[in-house]
Amino acid sequence: MRRYETVWVVNGDLPDEEVQAVNDKFSRIISAQGGVLAGLEDWGRRKLAYKIKGAIRGYYMLADFAGSSEAVKELERNFRIDDRIIRYLTTKKSDQVDVEALQAEVAAKALAAAPVPEVAPVSEAAPAPEPEAPPEPAAPVEEAAPPAQEE
Amino acid sequence: MPVMPRRKRKQFYVRRKVCRFCVDAALAIDYKDVNTLRQFVTERGKIIPRRISGNCARHQRRVTRAIKQARLLSLIAYVPLPAS
Repeated sequence: MRRYETVWVVNGDLPDEEVQAVNDKFSRIISAQGGVLAGLEDWGRRKLAYKIKGAIRGYYMLADFAGSSEAVKELERNFRIDDRIIRYLTTKKSDQVDVEALQAEVAAKALAAAPVPEVAPVSEAAPAPEPEAPPEPAAPVEEAAPPAQEE
Repeated sequence: MPVMPRRKRKQFYVRRKVCRFCVDAALAIDYKDVNTLRQFVTERGKIIPRRISGNCARHQRRVTRAIKQARLLSLIAYVPLPAS
């Protein structure tokens, strides 16, 4: 498995729901191809530096994932088919990926993100200190991760 | 009378440029970092040569690559539109 980073640009003239549908579709393709999605960044709508297929705005998405070269091939094949995608670029970030470590990291991130909505109802019923504890140990893991991604 | 110098040699002040990326290891080259890349293209959108930018060969290659990737994604223009 290799670590890849893919940026794709959806035609920004499309309505939000359609852009969302396209983004969901492609994140699902990554997972369906056995990829581990480590992060999905939403840059939102940006003005394009030049017109592409008549569009002046593009909706940018960045996916950071681990996967096989076949997964990338399949993903890019689908980018080419879907004409709502106006640009895409995949770059390889590393040749070797410790999949289990990455999965653990993703799980930790999900855990850090999840308690937030859960804490509110619990804290109303019971004293707060206990539900507040889990997010804190998870946070350092998240912070430790980015330097490794850059290399 | 003091002896005048026979030939006045033209003075060049060549300030040795150093590669910014070598000096500052924290400065990364990334096609997503549009603001940094902008410093290495002219207002015409051309990539500034090593001779002028002072980048070392290795970093110039990376900058060039990043600029081309950013152009593809329409993050920076190939040819900027005339100011309107």
